[in-house]
Amino acid sequence: MVAAAAMVLAACTPADPAGGDRTIKVAYQKTDSFTALDTMFQDAKKEFEAANEGVKVDLQPIQANDDDYGTKLALALRSPSTAPDVFYEDTFKVRSDVDAGYLLNLDSRLSGWGDWDKFDAGAKEAGKADDGGTYAVPLGTDTRAIWYNKKVLGAAGIGLPWRPSSWQDILDTARKIKASQPDVVPFNMYAGKGTGEGSVMQGFYELLYGTGAGLYDPDSKKWVVGSAGFKDSLTFLHTLYAENLAVPPAEALDPNIWKKVFGEWFPKAKLGATVEGSYAPSFWQKGGNYAWPEYGQDMAVAPFPTQDGTAPGAVSMSGGWTLAVGAETKQPDLAFNFLTTALNARNSLAFTVNSSQIAVRKDVAADPGYQSGNPFVKDVSDLVAVTRYRPATSDYPRISAAVQEATEAVITGSRTPEEAAADYDAAVAGIVGGDKTIRK
Amino acid sequence: MPASHRTRHALRYLPVLPAVVLLLVFLAGPVLWAFHASLTNAGLTGRHARNPDWVGLENYQRLFQDPVFPLSLALTLLFVAGSAILGQNVLGLALAVLMRRARPVVSATVGTAVVAAWVLPEIVAAFAAYAFFSRDGTLNQLLGSVGVAGTDWLYAVPMAAVVLANVWRGTAFSMLVYRSALGGVPGELTEAAQMDGAGAWQRLALITLPVIRGSIATNLMLVTLQTLAVFTLIWVMTGGGPATGSTTLPVLAYQEAFKFGDIGYGTAVASVLILIGAVFGAVYLRLLREQRP
Amino acid sequence: MTTPHKRVRSTWADVVLLLVGACFLLPLLWLFLASVDPAAGHAVKVPGRPGLDNFAAVLTPELLFRPLWNSLLLSVGTGVVTLTAAVLAAYPLSRYRSRFNTPFMYGILFGTCLPITAIMVPVYGLFVQLRLLDSLPATVLFLAATSLPMAIWMTKNFMDSVPLALEEAAWVDGASRLAGLRSIVLPLMGPGLGVVFIFVFIQAWGNFFVPFVLLLSEGSQPAAVSIFSFFGQHGAVAYGQLAAFSILYSVPVLALYAVVSRGSGNALALSGAVRG
Repeated sequence: MVAAAAMVLAACTPADPAGGDRTIKVAYQKTDSFTALDTMFQDAKKEFEAANEGVKVDLQPIQANDDDYGTKLALALRSPSTAPDVFYEDTFKVRSDVDAGYLLNLDSRLSGWGDWDKFDAGAKEAGKADDGGTYAVPLGTDTRAIWYNKKVLGAAGIGLPWRPSSWQDILDTARKIKASQPDVVPFNMYAGKGTGEGSVMQGFYELLYGTGAGLYDPDSKKWVVGSAGFKDSLTFLHTLYAENLAVPPAEALDPNIWKKVFGEWFPKAKLGATVEGSYAPSFWQKGGNYAWPEYGQDMAVAPFPTQDGTAPGAVSMSGGWTLAVGAETKQPDLAFNFLTTALNARNSLAFTVNSSQIAVRKDVAADPGYQSGNPFVKDVSDLVAVTRYRPATSDYPRISAAVQEATEAVITGSRTPEEAAADYDAAVAGIVGGDKTIRK
Repeated sequence: MPASHRTRHALRYLPVLPAVVLLLVFLAGPVLWAFHASLTNAGLTGRHARNPDWVGLENYQRLFQDPVFPLSLALTLLFVAGSAILGQNVLGLALAVLMRRARPVVSATVGTAVVAAWVLPEIVAAFAAYAFFSRDGTLNQLLGSVGVAGTDWLYAVPMAAVVLANVWRGTAFSMLVYRSALGGVPGELTEAAQMDGAGAWQRLALITLPVIRGSIATNLMLVTLQTLAVFTLIWVMTGGGPATGSTTLPVLAYQEAFKFGDIGYGTAVASVLILIGAVFGAVYLRLLREQRP
Repeated sequence: MTTPHKRVRSTWADVVLLLVGACFLLPLLWLFLASVDPAAGHAVKVPGRPGLDNFAAVLTPELLFRPLWNSLLLSVGTGVVTLTAAVLAAYPLSRYRSRFNTPFMYGILFGTCLPITAIMVPVYGLFVQLRLLDSLPATVLFLAATSLPMAIWMTKNFMDSVPLALEEAAWVDGASRLAGLRSIVLPLMGPGLGVVFIFVFIQAWGNFFVPFVLLLSEGSQPAAVSIFSFFGQHGAVAYGQLAAFSILYSVPVLALYAVVSRGSGNALALSGAVRG
């Protein structure tokens, strides 16, 4: 805190040589259910403008969902004249945006920022590019787990707390729920293109990374094709949907299905379990979009198991967002100082709690306010130990689309798991070229 | 022509200038840029974002090898043929013909209902169509009330759903065109034919349609081209899915350029769309020219 | 019209027409029922406890009035720019004979062929380059350009139907070309211009994709975009509010259409507009 303030003062006293324009343009996402970031920037703006006389912070919230926000940000970054000075950046876009020359290298500035040591080492990785430099500062992260309704599982005679140790356990439990409560969806797993990136982050990847296979081989820098794990994962989804243990396929492809999961099915005990993000409580807590006062008693969290229980026994996926400084900014020091104000301990804490994020600053993680933010903070934070990240390459969005297509073909029954896996292999070769694939 | 005359002649056309400038800057410019960008590997992000390389016809080669492209092309043509040429055009003509025989109050009321769908903002029309065809939507409720089991229209038959939605939304235009065209058919012609014993269908086929063929050609052109560009309706109703089940060329171009950030490839798709529009335009222009005296 | 023979046919036509009309109204049924049902989903049902809660919920400056005001600026601006440019361009095209006319009109026709969705990527690029992104006036100019081909075509056809003789009479009295245009031609074209304006206005009012791509900041977005955000974001399943919002957003164009079509006999006017 003190260090940050000192930095701010230091930067402001010498007065930038050019004088002139002292406005920092900040671009970020805001939606009607995601206002935590907006609140954080409003606070940071007040704080920063008070500490830096003559500096104006121009907040430019972009109202869009994740996909559209990414598009609009990229289109703005493309032209130096519209590129913001500080912006909210998805971790998996960092590398390709560094390739594009959109992000400023922060190494020299970070070394002078006392708070940087308080950031979790694993989280810091998210802001690194291929050249080893750091270009973005993490804002928060998330993990994914099984969220289940205790009432539904209890009524099916499942012992609580439930902790499945293999995929078979999940199927057995789902079948028991089906038998005891025919009008309940036993175990939902997102699939298909409707829910976009969410359908693989909260679904297929938990399966795939629990088989020992993966999407990408970082050592050879090639994409994995033809793995048994890929086929097994598709087969699991096929079983789930074919036995009506998940929602009907048509419903799974509805982009709004997640709203029903959070807003309708869980609160009404119409859904046994689903794979969802650690941010789930942000929808249910007071002031959330689907406020549900009893969620703390009715819901519980279990780690998603590996295929047959092999170590480490659980799988999770992490995404998360960062703040970055535009490469073309005319005020790199001011912009960086604003970033440090926005991410100081107080603002980080408020943001992390409001949006049910997992803290990336150790001091925030240790704060009692954070630990009591919601009843599941400990459960989901523990998963950081086993969590995995998506390959952060510029081909990734297309690969992800190919995975979504494979899952869609399987749950709708238009392709068998083997056929869909073969289609995926062909699609990957088409996207990255046959020489960039590896059979495992 | 003497120079002063020529100058005066040119000056007379000065008022055209604002329109020409607007059209050049905002339509012709972007079209040329699209063709240019389709020959590069420009991207939204990654190494080629700011310094795209010239790749020649590579994007087009990739496009013609992409299994989605022929499908998307076929879906686009199906959408245009089904909802514009057959749906809007024929239904619009039928409504206009019926309206001349119905009571004025009925034709005015029905006319208002048809026009309402056309005047609605496209996004509202798309929401309404989505709600109509969705699983627990109006259509299935109606079918259920007469004992017919419905289906998940947007999922099982996405093209039929978007075609019907576009017919619903766009028929008003054809109806208005044909109402006025029919109003211009001289009454003596049809009366004379009626005296000669021609039935209603014969009078329509032999007298009315040939007389209004100019309006038919014009209307066909306009509805075809409007339909070719439809994006919002499909995007909101199905998002191009399930899988690629309703990915017409505008949807494909949007996905490639904006979702995957592959501007070069996306503009190649868009360029093909522009060319198809030009081909349709040329065909109809020929038809129009032929029927002119 | 009153022969018995005709009346029989009339009834038959009435029935068919009413059936078709009912089909056209069905999709709108949901909008109306859901808007007054505080507990609406996407199923059609008569509200258990009808009320205006949905309307009350969306009647806020941020959600409704500012986007509607932006829509109005966008649509009126587009209408005025388009109409001015179209009248100016149509006059020489309608009144002078020249080798220039035919190719120009064909060029214009080709312009109507252009699928606007296909050029949105380059247009975005253009706006970025010219630093016009997020500018309402620039978006107005682009929307005007997209509706110009159709507008010029319609306007020229209307102008062709105003006899040259009337204008010539005015010139004999000493009026200039411009005065002739203003005092003779435009008033006679009044209803026709009304149709062109409405045509352009409705398109601009309802356009979603163009402002979606060109207007980024919250404060400048028209209703088409804000309603999409409302529906598409991580929002509540607020179908009732969505329906209420849709109705409030649609009423202005429906009303405008009703007024103009009453004033000018729309069907008739459109005939002049699209005659080949």
